[in-house]
Amino acid sequence: MSWFIQTCRSSLGKKYIMALTGFLLGGFLLVHTIGNSTIFWGREAFNAYAHHLHSLGVFVPIFEIGLVSIFIIHVITGVLLFLQNRSARGGQKYEVETNPGGRTWGSQTMIYTGASILVFILIHLANFHFVEKTEILTISDVVTKVLNNPGFTLLYVIGMAVLALHISHGFWSLLQTFGINTPQYNNAIRVVTWAVAAIMIAVFVLITLLLVVSQNQLLG
Amino acid sequence: MQLDSKIPEGPLAEKWDKARFSNKLVNPANKRKYEVIVVGTGLAGGAAAATLGELGYNVKSFCIQDSARRAHSIAAQGGINAAKNYQGDGDSIFRLFYDTIKGGDFRAREANVYRLAQVANNIIDQGVAQGIPFAREYGGTLANRSFGGAQVSRTFYARGQTGQQLLIGAYSAMMRQVAAGKVTLHTRQEMIDLVVVDGEAKGIITRNLITGEIERHSAHAVVLATGGYGNVYFLSTNAMASNVTAAWRAHKRGAGFANPCMVQIHPTCIPVHGDSQSKLTLMSESLRNDGRVWVPKNANETRKAADIPESERDYYLERKYPSFGNLVPRDVASRNAKQACDDGLGVGETKLGVYLDFSEAIQRDGLDVILRKYGNLFHMYEKITASNPTKEPMMIYPAVHYTMGGLWVDYELMTTVPGLYAAGEANFSDHGANRLGASALMQGLADGYFVLPYTIGNYLAKVAPEPTNTNHEAFDEAENSARELTTKLLKNTGSGKSGLKTVDYYHKKLGQVMWDDCGMGRNKEGLEDALKVIPEIREEFWDNVTVPGKGNELNQSLERAGRVADFLEFGELMVRDALEREESCGGHFREESQTEENEAKRDDENFSHVSVWEHKGEGNKPVMHKEALAFENVTPSQRSYK
Amino acid sequence: MSSKTINIIVKIWRQTGPHAKGNFEDHALKDISTGSSFLEMLDVMNEALANKGKEPIAFDHDCREGICGMCGAVVNGTAHGPEKETTLCQLHMRSFKDGDTIIIEPFRATGFPIVKDLIVDRSALDSIIQAGGFISVNTGSPQDANSILIPQHIAEQAMDAAACIGCGACAAACPNAAPMLFIGAKISQLALLPQGQQEARTRAVSMVGCMDENGFGNCGNERVCENVCPKGISIRHIARMNREYLKGAFAQSD
Repeated sequence: MSWFIQTCRSSLGKKYIMALTGFLLGGFLLVHTIGNSTIFWGREAFNAYAHHLHSLGVFVPIFEIGLVSIFIIHVITGVLLFLQNRSARGGQKYEVETNPGGRTWGSQTMIYTGASILVFILIHLANFHFVEKTEILTISDVVTKVLNNPGFTLLYVIGMAVLALHISHGFWSLLQTFGINTPQYNNAIRVVTWAVAAIMIAVFVLITLLLVVSQNQLLG
Repeated sequence: MQLDSKIPEGPLAEKWDKARFSNKLVNPANKRKYEVIVVGTGLAGGAAAATLGELGYNVKSFCIQDSARRAHSIAAQGGINAAKNYQGDGDSIFRLFYDTIKGGDFRAREANVYRLAQVANNIIDQGVAQGIPFAREYGGTLANRSFGGAQVSRTFYARGQTGQQLLIGAYSAMMRQVAAGKVTLHTRQEMIDLVVVDGEAKGIITRNLITGEIERHSAHAVVLATGGYGNVYFLSTNAMASNVTAAWRAHKRGAGFANPCMVQIHPTCIPVHGDSQSKLTLMSESLRNDGRVWVPKNANETRKAADIPESERDYYLERKYPSFGNLVPRDVASRNAKQACDDGLGVGETKLGVYLDFSEAIQRDGLDVILRKYGNLFHMYEKITASNPTKEPMMIYPAVHYTMGGLWVDYELMTTVPGLYAAGEANFSDHGANRLGASALMQGLADGYFVLPYTIGNYLAKVAPEPTNTNHEAFDEAENSARELTTKLLKNTGSGKSGLKTVDYYHKKLGQVMWDDCGMGRNKEGLEDALKVIPEIREEFWDNVTVPGKGNELNQSLERAGRVADFLEFGELMVRDALEREESCGGHFREESQTEENEAKRDDENFSHVSVWEHKGEGNKPVMHKEALAFENVTPSQRSYK
Repeated sequence: MSSKTINIIVKIWRQTGPHAKGNFEDHALKDISTGSSFLEMLDVMNEALANKGKEPIAFDHDCREGICGMCGAVVNGTAHGPEKETTLCQLHMRSFKDGDTIIIEPFRATGFPIVKDLIVDRSALDSIIQAGGFISVNTGSPQDANSILIPQHIAEQAMDAAACIGCGACAAACPNAAPMLFIGAKISQLALLPQGQQEARTRAVSMVGCMDENGFGNCGNERVCENVCPKGISIRHIARMNREYLKGAFAQSD
């Protein structure tokens, strides 16, 4: 196994870890999007979806532990990379900082968008996961209540924007890290990345806005 | 000074085999007991260090750059010759040999040149095995082009970066030996002296360019692969740090210097732009395949090139050499450009340039065809001059490019100091009076990969395999003289003396004298004048040079000062050699020796020899020895390009 | 070749040694020919300093033809200056305007300690090559060159990568100070060629390992390197290295 540890420790190994965990988190996000889009079909559908998830029994904690582990690995590796890179750059900064090309908003802000997303997710979990839900106060009620608070509305929209920025670099970056970079497909990859990210984010933002505009969407 | 060229007996084609057989071999178990110093990491030095390491010797490699991958071999563009005859166009080892010796105007040794042609094929095989991405045909076989007026396609190339690729190949092989512990790198170290113990080369003194420390290094043999001396002219296409110091100081320790006057001046370089010009840039001579050289007929011409009508243009190469036209050899093209400018017909702001016009070729073949051939060169030209060669003619002017002269070596590449070898451009051996295109890479690598590693064993086998050390008094003496030199160069620093001048000032001054009197055209009067002027400049240099900074730190002014000090001595030897050689041959054009049509006239009767100079101590005239050249397999003929 | 001249102010980094504190020094330069190269402008400045008995600014340079890879500095925030695919020595003063202030700094990265002024120590790049940037073949009598067939487009791609001059601009400009383009170019060149296959399993792993040991950062896929590379090397070569590393790491278990 030493080769495995050695690989994980190397700079490229850490990049593979970032890419793989990022990919899995993205996959989760996609599933989350699809699930949440039941909101468009109203309270029944959404509650049924939530109920269905909870009926998976032992798979729920397994899945949750897995997800959290992946998430933590992604965060820790990201922080390690950030610290290493900062020390590799050295103490003396360039007098002039320019972008000769290549850098994007997304790529320049990965650690910051990442940290913001972490905070956002903690709030998100506090809002929806660690609240008491009963037969009367269903997830639909919780969601409606939270998102109708103007502060949270804004937070969720901003959160989604930050996530979009993170993914805009993250998805392309993971392909490059795994060596999937072929000039003839690079443009297509870029377009698909943006499309998928945009759809996911659009769904979440639409849900938020929908619940603000039409408060009865999820109320019985 | 004894000049024994050690050329093996027997037919030309068997000489190298014979030499390899009769050479003594070092017992494989003993190889690890020998140390070899290799100075320089260009094609010759890099290849030699790598190969000697592979053979099992302990190699100490030295270079002045920060990495062994930067030597000026890297700048060679065109390609490398080999008689592979892949194109089936009639090439053979003998033809490559013949072309090379004829191109050198019959001033090189037959045996050496033939060996060069023989091992050239191995270089290509070796390069491919190392992963050098030579140009390929669609089917995957190697591509060739014809180059430098050769009538066969024998030049292998990797885009316009053949030198770079071959050098990185040698460098990689060397790095492999560094990893294996067989080669030790000493980068940013400049050799300042050779240490001769009991008449044999046993070490070198270097200056650590980072700390300024003077260091001693010992070995059983020393190889100099330190390149050419083109920078004696200040302006040349050589890299800024290229210098004669290692070779010159070896010369002062007893190594004969051969044919120092043989310098190649390349016709297609970008003209000087002004006083701050630091070096010249060469463009591949393939440009002359399609470009037409011309100057205005009227000396007071002020119009733009495009506005000058055909009738007022002088396509002088086509006029004077109807059969070769613009494709005359380098020396002829260069001389004629100088002639035109001397007559006041030069173009551009400095009036030191001639037009190289592609408009006819573009009209004939179409812009896309011309761009496919020369696009990268046009791009490079435009980057430097901000002028587009497809819109207005290029301006070109000759520049010093390569030096055929160098340390005298025998067939085994050993100098007149036993145990001291010279390889690549640093030796004089293979190009005679003029080098053909794509032959420099060939010679550097042949020496480094395939000649020196064999022949050095013949010497080492006679040396006891005992550990070396730097305790001998010869090291003390050499180190002290190195220290004294540094002190002497720094003596004016902070002295407050007025009228001090920088190193570059003297270098430029020397360069101008060399260019005017020992450049493309040389005559007795000018050379004798230069012999008077150069010592004066030298004297003034030692009196008034200012070298800021200290000796015990990184000090680039001091580095340059030491090199210029040597150029100031070496330049005199060049002039002396040029004066002595009263014939014209190859790159050496003595105006007194020309035909009625102003072409170079060789004098085989009196000058079919190598001039080898022996240093006789400070202030004494050097002594010239002759190594007669015998031609048994080719008949020297007068070159004609009419 | 115009003879236009400009006046500029040069703000240049001076540092006496690796551990010394550096600072910027201002120099006003008059009548700089726009036809001269950037390094010739520095020559003019150094000549003026030397004439005043002051120490000139130390900077690395050699071929001045854009191929040896010795020169390099960060000019107004960009490695090798504002012109694309141009080394510092091939940058010309016509890229600047009269009255400009030009800020010149050394290549900065922990892996490239400053030696003096603009000179940095790039020997880490040599170490990386020593870790596997070669094909293990001794000088001798390899098979005939044409016995290895390489399709033209593969040879061309290998040449694209092999064009690297080892200047270190990629690491200097990289936000994470990673010489990934340098190392990717070498691994990619050798991975493309049949000759390089024998050692492909170990090459990438050991070269990347060496890079890590030398204090460089990790690739962030920010693509700055390919935008400052004087030879225009593409990050697709980094992608190929990433593939090679994966293959190497997982095939190494035996």
